[in-house]
Amino acid sequence: MARFVVLRLLQAIPMMVVVVLLVFTMLQLTPGDPVQAIVGQFPVPPDFRAAIEQHYHLNDPLWMRLMQYFLNLLHGDLGYSFQSQQPVIELILQRAPRTLLLAGAAFVIGVPIGIGIGLLCATTRNRHVDRFWTTTALVGYAVPGFWLGQLLVILFAMRLGWFPTQGMAPLISRAHGAGWLLERVRYLALPAITYAVYEATRVARLMRASVADTLGQGFIVTARAKGLSRAKIIRRHVLRNSSLPVVTVMGYAFGVAMGGAVLIETVFSWPGIGLLLIEAIRVRDNQTVVGVVLFISLAVILMNLLVDMLYGLLDPRIRAAR
Amino acid sequence: MPTPHLLRRTAFALSLAVAGTPALAADTPRHGGSAVLAIDTTGMAMLNTDLTSFSPALFIADLWADGLMAKDAQGRRIPHLATSWNTSDDGKTYTFKLRQGVKWSDGQPFTAKDAAFTLTAFGKLNTYLSKLYPLITKVETPDDYTMVVTLSQPITAAMDLFDKENFPLMPEHVYAGTDIPTNPANRKPVGLGPYKLDNWEPGRSISFVRNPNYWDQPKPYLDSVVVAVIPSPQQQLNAVIQGEADWVQLDFSQIERAQEAAKNGKIKVVKIEMNAPERSSLDFNFRRAPLGDARVRQALFFATDRQRISNDAYRGLAFPAKSAIPVQFKDLYDPSVNYDTMYPYDPKKAGELLDQAGLPMKNGTRFSVELTYQALSPYDSVAKSIAAQWKEIGVDVRLTGLDAQIWVDKVYNRNDFDISLVSLTGRSDPTLGVDRSFVCNPAHVPYTNPSGYCNPELDKIAAAAAAAPQEQRRALYKQYEEIVARDLNEISLTNAPTYNAAATKFQGLDKLFDISFNEHPSWADTWLPAGSQ
Repeated sequence: MARFVVLRLLQAIPMMVVVVLLVFTMLQLTPGDPVQAIVGQFPVPPDFRAAIEQHYHLNDPLWMRLMQYFLNLLHGDLGYSFQSQQPVIELILQRAPRTLLLAGAAFVIGVPIGIGIGLLCATTRNRHVDRFWTTTALVGYAVPGFWLGQLLVILFAMRLGWFPTQGMAPLISRAHGAGWLLERVRYLALPAITYAVYEATRVARLMRASVADTLGQGFIVTARAKGLSRAKIIRRHVLRNSSLPVVTVMGYAFGVAMGGAVLIETVFSWPGIGLLLIEAIRVRDNQTVVGVVLFISLAVILMNLLVDMLYGLLDPRIRAAR
Repeated sequence: MPTPHLLRRTAFALSLAVAGTPALAADTPRHGGSAVLAIDTTGMAMLNTDLTSFSPALFIADLWADGLMAKDAQGRRIPHLATSWNTSDDGKTYTFKLRQGVKWSDGQPFTAKDAAFTLTAFGKLNTYLSKLYPLITKVETPDDYTMVVTLSQPITAAMDLFDKENFPLMPEHVYAGTDIPTNPANRKPVGLGPYKLDNWEPGRSISFVRNPNYWDQPKPYLDSVVVAVIPSPQQQLNAVIQGEADWVQLDFSQIERAQEAAKNGKIKVVKIEMNAPERSSLDFNFRRAPLGDARVRQALFFATDRQRISNDAYRGLAFPAKSAIPVQFKDLYDPSVNYDTMYPYDPKKAGELLDQAGLPMKNGTRFSVELTYQALSPYDSVAKSIAAQWKEIGVDVRLTGLDAQIWVDKVYNRNDFDISLVSLTGRSDPTLGVDRSFVCNPAHVPYTNPSGYCNPELDKIAAAAAAAPQEQRRALYKQYEEIVARDLNEISLTNAPTYNAAATKFQGLDKLFDISFNEHPSWADTWLPAGSQ
């Protein structure tokens, strides 16, 4: 297993190099003037431009900046954000836990619900229950997250006043202990639910198809013939065998989620990785853009690796093949 | 012998003293509490507004920075760090007497040397001072509380340039001998404003606490002011309506909603009467046919219903511009030049002019143009309104809404556009905010006339108007307006006022909004009653 993990990580290195090369080149081709972005809607005084360009090496040739970037990467340095005037790694470490919290909460809420709905639909196929939940899941999957988020804000924050309209936590608070925790849960609830609806419906649709497929397999017929109860069959045989596609998709989805649900973070002013990326693109803070993209790529690669490892645990045949 | 008026006033004061003591106590400002401001600071790299004109930084600067003078709601100049000022008869020498015993937020004393340092060290880096700095021949400090600035030639708007919004004072002891544009103090400033920076958490909040060294004690009254980073205008207003934030500068798309929400009495919508006019305008690219033909530009102006643009994009709260000089400059705008009468909405006349220009209608279309703009509110609504209007005279408009950076590159650097839509602030004087739309711009400087139009006669008049004594400027601006109305390198669509929304739980809101032109609430005079803290 250790050899497998090391090999996969080594394979990731050339991928990361390609990602950096691609993003650097794309940013080079995109018009933009970071110094103008600092000054705003007035002309940039030449002395100011000269000082900023020199300090941040904005006018160095592409190859020189690329070489310097790779050299810095070897030391774990993801560059320096001229917009925030701090190392990019610090920015990522500040924002990533917030995105992790949002995505984690969404997955914790969404995935079990999705599995439950999928299972219910597959075991009641073509009946009213199945039709109702399949249609509901399809609608939930099709509704854009930013729109659903705004609807939830209007209903639960503006009309009912149960939740705050935006943000991650109160800016001024005297709460502590359980009150402090409750306050944070109130801020997390709406963005996490918005996100969870999408994940739950995605999982439900996958799970329904996967369970339906498993139920048609020979070993389920055998289990029935052995006289196992329906609950036992589902718990022992169906769930585990149907979970492989869900684990694959969810693993990948969680990796992508570490890049931030940009629209949901925007709707709820949730200061995560997604908003950081948008801010950096808007002002052409290129080192931050490259650093964040690199971080997202790494998150996807690591999550896929984790999924591969989980396969082994879930399916002994795969474990044996390794 | 006391007059009846004086007797009445004395009697009134005595009655208050005897019977109204509890009421007075309730009205007495008290320390404590906080205010939360909803601002989109996305993209704000620094707080120092000597180096940036980024709007969120300007909103925030009023908290921590201060300057020689400010303006009240009527546009009158009021003393801040300068207690008095005068200009020599030849308009070249400015003398400022400075407030004594003032300290910076870090406790160091403030003297005239700091003011002189700010002018000499930041002058070449400050975009607003670009017209003033080259004219400065001497900056002297004969004593610790006097600064004398001598110019090589007069510039009438100079006094405006010394306002706190254009020229926030910076501490010499923090910046001297450093690389100013990259000094960390640009993000962790030391200032003279009512609050001082406590913490900046990028993407989430910027916190300020009371500056104990503020010159106007016992102000400020609030313990802290926190800027909540909220990217969307809709979310900003949501937060204010729900009491999560206390102030927002309203986007036009939100004003109606704010006025509706204000009916519950918890928030108040305030119109800043004497504002720096937002000039929504169209720039024509003279290098591109058929826009180089004055008849075509005039035709497009006749085909533009500016009141409809105000209704469509500004909810009827902007008003059609009268000329190149916004009417807010009431001492300078000459009403004899009036676009309402010169270019009234008249599609028939527009069609005739296009026929004369050799652009007849063929299959419902005369010609096609691209209209480019930043893909933001309210530009997108303005652009769509224009496209619909011009279609009626057979002009096919291709809309290109772009990211701000790509738009700047396309319009100003590469001049690769037909017509560009922009809204720029006129600031407090045409010299500072309007000239840039009309004077020659051979160097392709962003946010400056991109049309390729260059009229030395207009440049000469603009320079003369900038330097002329105040009473002579209107006549010069009349000539300026006439030339622009004839040549139309840019057509001014609307001038828009500024709207704020603030929580009514605060006392002293009238004082908070006793501001004009480019100023923003400083929260120095505002306080919270005991029950609201």
